[in-house]
Amino acid sequence: MVYIIRIIISVCVTLLISCSQVQTEKDSQLALMKTTNPNPTVTEKNNGQEKVESIEREVESFDEIYDVAVVKGKKETLVVYKVKHMQRFRMKQIEKDLNKILEEKHPKEQFTVSSDYKIFLEAVRLIERKEHGNLSDKQAENRLNEILKMTSDIK
Amino acid sequence: MASKQKKMTPQQQKYQQLQQKHELKRPVLKNCIKAFWVGGLICTVGQAISYFYIYYFDFTEQNVGNPTVATMVFLSMLLTGFGVYDRLGQFAGAGSAVPVTGFGNAVISAAIEHRTEGFVLGVGGNMFKLAGSVILFGVFSAFVVALIKTLLGMWGVL
Amino acid sequence: MLKGQQSWIFQNRPMIVATGVSGGPFEANGNLADDFDILHEDLWMGMDSYEKAQRVLLEEAITTTLEKASMEKEQIEFLFAGDLINQITPSSFAARTMQIPYFGLFGACSTSMEGLALASFVVNYKGAHNVLTGASSHNAATEKQFRYPTEYGGQKPPTAQWTVTGAGVGLVTQNVPGQQHPVTTSATIGKVIDMGLSDPFNMGGAMAPAAADTIMAHFRDLEVDPSYYDLIITGDLGRIGHDTAFELINKSGLKLEREQFQDCGLLIYKDDQPVQSGASGAGCSATVLYGHLLNQMKKGVYERILVVATGALLSPLSFQQKESIPCIAHAVSIEMNGVGG
Repeated sequence: MVYIIRIIISVCVTLLISCSQVQTEKDSQLALMKTTNPNPTVTEKNNGQEKVESIEREVESFDEIYDVAVVKGKKETLVVYKVKHMQRFRMKQIEKDLNKILEEKHPKEQFTVSSDYKIFLEAVRLIERKEHGNLSDKQAENRLNEILKMTSDIK
Repeated sequence: MASKQKKMTPQQQKYQQLQQKHELKRPVLKNCIKAFWVGGLICTVGQAISYFYIYYFDFTEQNVGNPTVATMVFLSMLLTGFGVYDRLGQFAGAGSAVPVTGFGNAVISAAIEHRTEGFVLGVGGNMFKLAGSVILFGVFSAFVVALIKTLLGMWGVL
Repeated sequence: MLKGQQSWIFQNRPMIVATGVSGGPFEANGNLADDFDILHEDLWMGMDSYEKAQRVLLEEAITTTLEKASMEKEQIEFLFAGDLINQITPSSFAARTMQIPYFGLFGACSTSMEGLALASFVVNYKGAHNVLTGASSHNAATEKQFRYPTEYGGQKPPTAQWTVTGAGVGLVTQNVPGQQHPVTTSATIGKVIDMGLSDPFNMGGAMAPAAADTIMAHFRDLEVDPSYYDLIITGDLGRIGHDTAFELINKSGLKLEREQFQDCGLLIYKDDQPVQSGASGAGCSATVLYGHLLNQMKKGVYERILVVATGALLSPLSFQQKESIPCIAHAVSIEMNGVGG
C-alpha cells in the first residue's frame, strides 16, 4: 500500500519537474491561477497600440471581469478574459454584453471574444514571447490565427 | 414506508420497533463530512489533471473534460485492481462513489469479480452489471432532455 | 426421542470424537486463530476461483477430522454438509472428492446445527456408526453471490456483517462410555420466522426473533431452566441481533444472564478488525463450535452448552424482488461425556 503510493507520488513529481523544465516563459506558468493582466499587444508594430489599450480598458470596466488579455492582429482582435468565480453562472450574458459594447465602440474592428482558460493561456504566452522579442510580427500573426481557429472549434 | 407497514402484522410491527432500538444508525453527519473531503480531494486531482492537459496539450477548457475523465477512470481502475478503492469507498461513501472514479470502480470491480467465469460470459457479460444501469438511464435521460429541448426549439419557446 | 413439540433427546449420547477447522487469512488475524487446524495465507487457497477455494476448505476440514480420529473415509457412513453458494456446489463437490454418501443441506448460516442435529439423530438410532457433518463459507464467494463485487467501493452500514472464510467439520460417532469427548444430548429444530425485515445489510436484526423463538421452544420442550447451561451461544447474530435476541428472551420470562449468552459472530474477530457488526456465514458457527468451543469444553471451561445457529433464508433474487427475509434457527445442546445425567 505504502509502496504503491510512493510509486504514484514519485511518478507525479518526475512528470511535473520534467514538464516545468521545458517551459521558458515565467508569467504564463501561473496564468490560470493568478491575475496576470498582460499588456495589450498588436502583432504588427506601430499599428493601433492605443486602440488596443482602450479596448482593454473598456473590457476591464466590467465588474464581473478581472483579468484581460487583448491581442490585435491584422484583421481580427482577440479578447480573452477571466470572469469572477461567482459570476461564472452568467458567463453567456457577460459575453453577449461584451460583444455588444465592443461592436458599438469599435464598429470597424472584428472581435473574437472568449473566456476559455486555454485561449487565455495561449494569448498570454503569445504576448510574452512577443515582448521578449522571440517572435517576429509574421510568426505572431500566424500564432494568433491558430488561436483564433481554436476558439472557433469550441463554438 | 407507510404502505409497507400496513401489510405487516401487529407482531411484526412490534418487533421492528424493538429492533430499531438496537440497530446501529449510520453516522450521517460524519459520513457527509468524510464524503465532502474525499469527494473534494478527488475533484481537486481531476482539476489538476485538466490543468495539466490545458497547459501541455492543445485542449481547451471546453473539451479538456474528455481526456480528464478518461484519466480519472483509468486511475480508479488501477486503484481498484490494487485493492485500495474499496477501502476508500468504505471510508468515504458517496465521496468516492459519486465522482466518475466510482463509475470506473463499479466497472472494473465487476470485471475482476467475474474473471473466473471466463472472458466472454464472465468479464464480458458481467462487467456492466453495476454500471450498466448508470449508462442506460444516463443515455435515456439525455435523450429525453434533448427531445424536450428540440420540441421547445421547434415551438419557438427557446 | 421426540420431546415436546419440536425437540429431540439423544438418549444414546452420540459423541463428537474429532473435529477439523480450516480458515482464511482474515481469520488468521482474528481472535480465535489458535483454534483453527489449518489457516491459509491466501484467500484463493491456491485455486483459480473462490468457489473452488471454499471446496478446498471443506475438503481440508474433512481430511483433518479423519486424521485426528485416525479413520479412513471408507469407515464414514454419511456426510451432512451445506453452504451458501448456489446449489451448495462447494459441499457437493467436496463430497464428490471424498466419496462418502452425502446429504446436501441448506439452512443458510444455520446449516452447521441442522447438520449436527441430523447426524446426531441418525447416530443415536444406530442409523450409522460414524457420520461427518460440517458447513463452510467463503467471504469472497458469498459476497459475490449476495452482495457487490469484492473490490466495489460501496459503503457498508454499521449493521453489516463479515462473512467468515472457513469450514468446520465434526465427526459424530456412537457413544463409548468412559471416553472424554463432547456429546450431543438434545436438539431443537426451529420454525421459519419472518418479522418483515428486508434489509440484507441487517441480517442480525432479521434473525434475532428466530433465535429467540428456538431458544424459548428448547426450554419449553425440555422443561429445563437456562441456568442448566454454562453457555448459550448464537451463531451469527452480530452485535445488533444479539442484543435484540437477549431482550426478546428476557421479556418472555426466561432468566438469562448476560455472560451466559454469547455470539459466535462476536467471538471470532478482534475488535479492531473492520467487520462492522460482527461475523456471519455458514462457516461462522461451524468454525467457532468445532474449533474454539469444543476445545474450551475439553479444557473444562464449559460443561454444558447450547449452540443456536441462525440462518437468513434469502436469495439475491428474493430481496431484489422486495421480499422480506425469513429466518430460521436450530439449537443443539452439547455436554461433556461423564458429566451430569
